[in-house]
Order: sequence, then C-alpha cells, then structure tokens
Amino acid sequence: MKSIKLFLTVFFLSVAILSCENNPITVPVVSTTYKDLPADPGTGGRDQVGNLLGTKNKFTFFSFKKGQIVDNKDSATAIWDVGFKGTTIIVNSGTFGPGKTQAQIVTGSFDNYPTAPDDGYTSDSFPLPDGTNKWYSYDNATMVITPIAGRVIVVKTADSRFAKLEILSYYKGSPAKPDAMKDSDRYYTFRYVYQPNDTKRF
Amino acid sequence: MSYLLNLIFIILIGVFFNFLILQICAVKFYWLLLSICVVGFAKAQDSLQSKALEEVVITATKTEKPLDELPMPVSLISRTQIRTIGSLRLNDVLLEQTGLAVVPQINGTGNGLQLQGLNPDYTLILIDGEPVIGRFGGSIELTRLTVGNIKQIEIVKGPSSSLYGSEALAGVVNIITEKPSRGSKGNIFCRYGTNNTLDTYGEYGLTKGKWGGYIFADRYSTDGYSLSSDQSGKTVSPFQNYTTNLNLTYKLSKRTDISLGGRFFREKQKYSYEVKSPDGQVVSTDGDGLVYDWNLKPTISHRFNDKLKATAKYYRTDYSTATTLKNLGSNTVSYSDDFAQSFQRAEVTGEYFFNKKNFLTMGLGTIFESVKTSRYADLIKRRQETGYIFLQHEWNPLTKWNVIAGVRYDNNSVYGHQLSPKLSMRYEINNNFAFKGSVGVGFKAPDFRQLYLNFNNSAGGGYSVLGAEVVRAQLELMAEQGLIKNYLLNLSNIGKLQAERSIALNFGTRFKPLPLLTADINLFYNSIDNLIENQAVAVTNANQTIYSYRNIKRAFTEGIESNFTYTISKKINFSIGYQLLFAKDKDVISRIKSGEVYWRDPNTLISNKLEPNEYFGLYNRSRHMGNAKIFFSDKKLGLDASARVIYRGKYGIGDMQGNLQGQTVPSSDTNGNGILDIHDDFVHDYVVVNLSVAKNFINHFRLQISVDNIFNYVNAINIPNIPGRLFNLNVGYFFNNNQ
Repeated sequence: MKSIKLFLTVFFLSVAILSCENNPITVPVVSTTYKDLPADPGTGGRDQVGNLLGTKNKFTFFSFKKGQIVDNKDSATAIWDVGFKGTTIIVNSGTFGPGKTQAQIVTGSFDNYPTAPDDGYTSDSFPLPDGTNKWYSYDNATMVITPIAGRVIVVKTADSRFAKLEILSYYKGSPAKPDAMKDSDRYYTFRYVYQPNDTKRF
Repeated sequence: MSYLLNLIFIILIGVFFNFLILQICAVKFYWLLLSICVVGFAKAQDSLQSKALEEVVITATKTEKPLDELPMPVSLISRTQIRTIGSLRLNDVLLEQTGLAVVPQINGTGNGLQLQGLNPDYTLILIDGEPVIGRFGGSIELTRLTVGNIKQIEIVKGPSSSLYGSEALAGVVNIITEKPSRGSKGNIFCRYGTNNTLDTYGEYGLTKGKWGGYIFADRYSTDGYSLSSDQSGKTVSPFQNYTTNLNLTYKLSKRTDISLGGRFFREKQKYSYEVKSPDGQVVSTDGDGLVYDWNLKPTISHRFNDKLKATAKYYRTDYSTATTLKNLGSNTVSYSDDFAQSFQRAEVTGEYFFNKKNFLTMGLGTIFESVKTSRYADLIKRRQETGYIFLQHEWNPLTKWNVIAGVRYDNNSVYGHQLSPKLSMRYEINNNFAFKGSVGVGFKAPDFRQLYLNFNNSAGGGYSVLGAEVVRAQLELMAEQGLIKNYLLNLSNIGKLQAERSIALNFGTRFKPLPLLTADINLFYNSIDNLIENQAVAVTNANQTIYSYRNIKRAFTEGIESNFTYTISKKINFSIGYQLLFAKDKDVISRIKSGEVYWRDPNTLISNKLEPNEYFGLYNRSRHMGNAKIFFSDKKLGLDASARVIYRGKYGIGDMQGNLQGQTVPSSDTNGNGILDIHDDFVHDYVVVNLSVAKNFINHFRLQISVDNIFNYVNAINIPNIPGRLFNLNVGYFFNNNQ
C-alpha cells in the first residue's frame, strides 16, 4: 500500500513538474520517507523521575543532498543540514554549526506546498523555548509526542538549495497510536523533498 | 390496547420532532421551525384542559411561583419521583434528567454537573437558596449530597446571575429540603445493595404551637468498586459519610417568623494503591481522605403590611478536606493535601406588591470568602469580599403577558464589579400553550486556583504556573534576581483577571398538542468571550516557561432541549427527553476557516486540511443525549414502579490527567491537531437502563427493589463514574399524623 502511495506521489509530482512548460527542470524531485532516524534514544528503561537512561546527549545529523545521516564526527563541518536530538531539531548555522543552513516552519499540506518562501529563514531551533517554531504537541496525560498535522519545515541549504520536511512520527516503527510506556521514542520518521536545482519550486 | 396505540403515537411524535431538528443544523432555523410547529398546534388545539396540581418553585424568582407561569426554562424533580426511582445521592437523580450530564473531574474521578453544555464550574448548586461550596477541579462532588431530606429539586437553566451572582452562568440547581410539616411526620429508611453499599436515614418533622422542627440524619457507607481487575486499588475507594440536617422555625408574632437551618457533613475515604514508579518499582501507599462541610442559616422575616415583606438572613458555610497518603514500609508521606474554604453572607431582601400587575423584589448583601490550602505552595489565608445589590420587577400588563426584569450589581475586592441584567417574558396564547423567552448575562468569578496557584514542575522540562494574584510579585522577584530571559507579553497585561461573562438566549414553549400530552421545548445559546485559560507569559534564563491565567478563550454552546410527557392514564406516565448540543471554541473555528488546521491520518501519516464541518467541538460534550421513562403508580394496590432508559451520545475526551490508579486516559485527539474532529477516536455512545418496583403495606411500610444499570454497561478507562450493575433492596417505615 505504502509503495503504491509512494509510486503515485512520484508519478503525479513528475507529471505536474514535467507538464509545467516554462520550467526547464530535467531532474524530477521526489518525496522520500526516512524511517526511524534515531535522535539520541535511550538504551533501555528510565530512572525514578522518568528520565531516559543511556542517552548520549548527541545530535544525529542529516544531509538532504546525500539523503542520509552524517557521522557525528563531522559535526563541526558544513556537510550536514539538520540535526535531531530528543524533540529538538537544529539547523547548521548560528549557534549550532559552522554552516549556513537556515529554516522556517510553515502551515500547509506537504504535498500541496509548491514553492519555498523567499524569506523568513532563521538559525532558530525547532521548537524555541517560548513555544514558537513548535512542530509537535505533548499530551500531559499520556506523555505522547504527536507531530502537529500540517506543519512543514522549509530548509534553505548553504548552497541556496531548498528542501521541505514533514515530521510524521516520533516513535520507532511509526505506530498509529503510540504508547509512551511501550513504544521507543526519539525515532523520527519524516518525509522530505530536496530540490537539487536552482529553483524554489518543489 | 389504546394505551399501546397512544404510546406508539408519542414515540412517533418524539422521533419526528427530533428527526426534524437533526436535519437542520443551524440554530437560527430551529427558531423558525419551532414557531411554525407551535403555531400549527395552537390552531389545532384550543380546548380547555383541567389544570394539574400546581407545582410551585422558588429558585427562578426568589419568590414562590407556579412552575407553569415562569418565563424561563425551569424543571422540578419531586420527592415522589426521587422515592420512586430509589436513588440515594444527588448524582443518581440528576443524571436521569434531560440536558444534564454527570461528568468526571479532570483526574477521571468524581461527579460534576454539566448543564447546557457548560462545565460543572458554571452551575451554582444551592441548598435552600444558599450556595454549596468546596469545588474540586471546578466541580461540586454530587455524591456529597444525600437525597433523603430533599423535598424537591429545582433546576433553572440559563444564566441566573441577575439573582444569584457568580457561578450561576449556565444555571442553578436548588435543593429544597424538608421543613417542619403540619402535625408530625417521620421516616426511617434503609437501603442495602451491591458493593456493600448501605444507607440508613431517619427524619422527623413536628409542629407544635408556635414551634416547628425538622431533623434528619443519614449514614452512608460503601466498599467502592473496581472496574479493571489488573489494577490494584479501586476506581472508587471505600468511604463512609454522615449527614445531619436541622430546620427550626418559631412564630414570633402573627407577622414575624424566625428560623434556623443547619447541616453537618463528614466523610472519610480509605485509599490503598500500588503505584509503579518509572523505573518499574512498585510502591504501596495508603491513607485517609477526610471531607467536612457544615452550614448554619438564621433567618428572620417580617410582614409589615399586605404589601411589604422583608427578610434578613445570615449564612455561613465551611468546607475542608485533608488527605494524607503514606508509603507502606518506609512510612514516609507520599502525598498530602489540605484545603479549607469558608463562605459567609449577610443579606436583606424586600418584596413589595404594588398591585396585581406589579411586584418588586430587591436585596442587598455582603459576602466574605476565604481559602487556605497547601495546594498553592504556601498556607496563607486568602480573603475576598463582595458587596451586591439586586432588583427584580415582575410585571403582568395583560393576563396573557408576564414580564420579569432583573439586574444585579456585584463588587468584588479582587476581580472588580459586574453588572448582570436579565429580561424574561412569557406570552400565553391559550391554556394549551405559551411562549417563553429570556435574555441574560451570567458571570463566574475567577476561581482560587486561577488567582493563587503557585506551581513549579522541576521535572519534565520544568515550567511554572502562577495565579493571577501572585504572578506579578513572583516575576518582579525573579527579574530582580536576573532570572527572566524575556517576557512574552507586556508586563502590564500580566496578572489581570476578570470574571468570565456570558450572554445567553433561551427561547421556548410549553404546549399540549394532545389533551394528555405536554411538550416543553427550549432553544438555548450561550456565548462566552473571555474564558480563562493559561498562557505562557515569560521565559527564564534556564529556558523554563512561566504560565499564568488570562481571559483569552472564546466559546459558545447552543442547542435544543425537548421534553414530551404523556399521561397515558392516572397510573402511567411516559416521557421522552432529548437534547441536541453544539459546544465549540470560537477561535478554533476561525483557525479552521483560515486554513491553519490539518489532520493526520494515523495509518497513512498523510496530513489533510480540516474543513469547518469536520470540527466536532469541545471535549466531553455529547451532541445527542436523551432519555425515555415510564412511571407507574397505583395508590390502591400500594404499588409503584419505574423504568428509565438513559442515553448519552458519543463524545471526545482530552486534557485528562489519568486516573487515580495511574492508568493513562488517552486523549480522543489522535491526529495531531489538538482539537476534536470527526476523524478522531470518540468515547462510544451508551445506554443505561434502570428499573425499580416498590410495594407499600398498611400505609406504614415500604419495600423496594431496584436495579441500576441492568445491562451492566461499563467503560473502565473513559467513564469511571459508571459503576456497573447495582442491585438494591430498600425498606422503609413512615408515619404521618396530620393534626
């Protein structure tokens, strides 16, 4: 089922892009789903006050261009675009890294978000302590982290290329109804579209 | 056979009406529809009907009025009805009434009253016109109130702040207790049932010369119940309570009466839990929870002449709780909570009859309130004062018209002043039907938690919640110490809290489409634009967020309530009740309209835009609620019986803090938008069926058997306040010497 969906997405996107006559794009952009990116998960169990045991307090870095995780030893380079640790997502610039990648969060449907905004990109993390830039909601009762539907993070990379990113799940295996007591958290499933060409259109 | 036909007929009428109503989903259309239906019936039915025994209520106007003549929606539950259904506590009675839902509190326990779709916080519960205090999570726990000493329960729907001030925003439930009767009258009752629940009470009333007295005493105990077997501890822990009630009257002179009323209540609950800590260790805790409440009310009233009557009264009530849980083994205190609240009021009222067409009621008074609790991080006694004056004029310009206009002004030392007007009108077309309409303002004062809370959660990210009266001082102190990184709001806007205010419309009719069929229909609309909600106000250098309370949320509730009562014969009475309800957050609606709200399919993980018609509304509100009841009474045979079917439609839950056994209660919102929409998981609709049958012997003895929830409906996680099937046996002895 999922593969059919992926196929259809790719197909329609390709058709949409190819049918756009004024646009001289030759490489079709595709939506890729990355499953279960570990964002400093625990090694098992919690202490008495509920803190995860065995976390390393290190970000997991990701490059859109490569479409894969960047080794943590390259943290001081501009190779990576975004980093994940717990519920915090950072971009490679400002206080977080030597790069120039910036991002912003927008409201919209991932599939129908055709053009990256001209400006509004910052080096802020997601979320900020004041509650803005929030990509998830937290349920006090069940302690479940749920990505807010309809939030797209638009990323502008160091070489002025654009990517859009949507977080789908914070739990390993993307369960439909996560259980904070049973499912392992700090595993990101997200989908993204990277536009390798010099255009804001996805 | 004809009974059966009639029965079918009334069901069809009920279904037809409700079907019509369901089909048209915008309230403005109801008004039109209702007018057309009623005018149609009015023309068809114009015959005179013999008037039933007049039912008199006091709550709606503070003076005794026939129920039928009131211009606002009022319902009455009689002692006979309470006896027939064999109930013990107030929640048993109220949950069977149309438009009322008995809902658990924030931690999933307890029983609070939801009226016209508004939370328990917004309904004032009175005993003989005086407020019951001691709210927990906004609710007055209805099981605190026994029904043994109740003469009748009066329910006024729609705001009554023009008479009662704060909290009378959704409506008022007034419990009228028994008073000294003519001659002497007494009762001893005992009920035993499932869960080892035992209730015993006695009452005795006597009038002799100028003196009158009524005394009531009740003891209630239960083992509680457990809904899920894999949990230790109980859903409701065992408890026992005692209630005593005393009313004394003395006729000082022909024109002067004095009276003294009082109540004392004590409850002890025994808790025993096993709590799993996050690292998997099991800790056993146990301890007691104590609740006290008492009140005292001396009153003097004097009739100066045929036109003027004045009453002066003082009322004091105190409520306190103390809960301490200890860890078994280490014997250390794991949980401790103390709460003490006091309420005093002095009031003078005057009633003046100008003539048959004009009647004026006015009053003024002062209220002193205080609270002292360990919940607000200190044990400081917080006080507030309210001065108030109210005026109500009743005008009957023509026999067919009745107009009541009232206004009340409250001035409070903490949240300032409030003006609450209300206008109600009734127009009687003929004996068979009348229109009623009222428009009024209701208000609810900020509660103690919103004013004084000082909560700091150092674990779990760390955040603080500070009440409006303490937030400024705390922020200034932290700023001096250099701890504040930035303010999220202008400092001058932080810490100012006003009372929540509503504007409400009620429009209804009472008519008789058939000689023995009475229909009551009421349309309601409540709008509140300054609901109190917590909001982030500052961030500390350690990136901890500080929250306080502000008047920022906007919501409305609207719907239609209908009751059809058919007197099949002198012995059999059948009724159907139904409420359609829409309760929504206005800001959520505007967010959806501007396209900001999406929902994620939990299986495909794809996000879609939410359409305005996909928004269901606020949590814990059922769109459809209803009941069907049949009452039977044969005086000759000394038999009475009843069957009641209570329906509550599907609803969503959220913001639940889990329950006391540590089970988590998953929110209905499962699709990542923080609101309840049609794609979410709902608590299923359900039906509870209750039966009772009783036989009276030789005018002095009564034997009753009742089964509540005969089909044993339970939902352990979401509806912990429905205990499952209950069998009860009720024995009573009563006498009545009318001198």
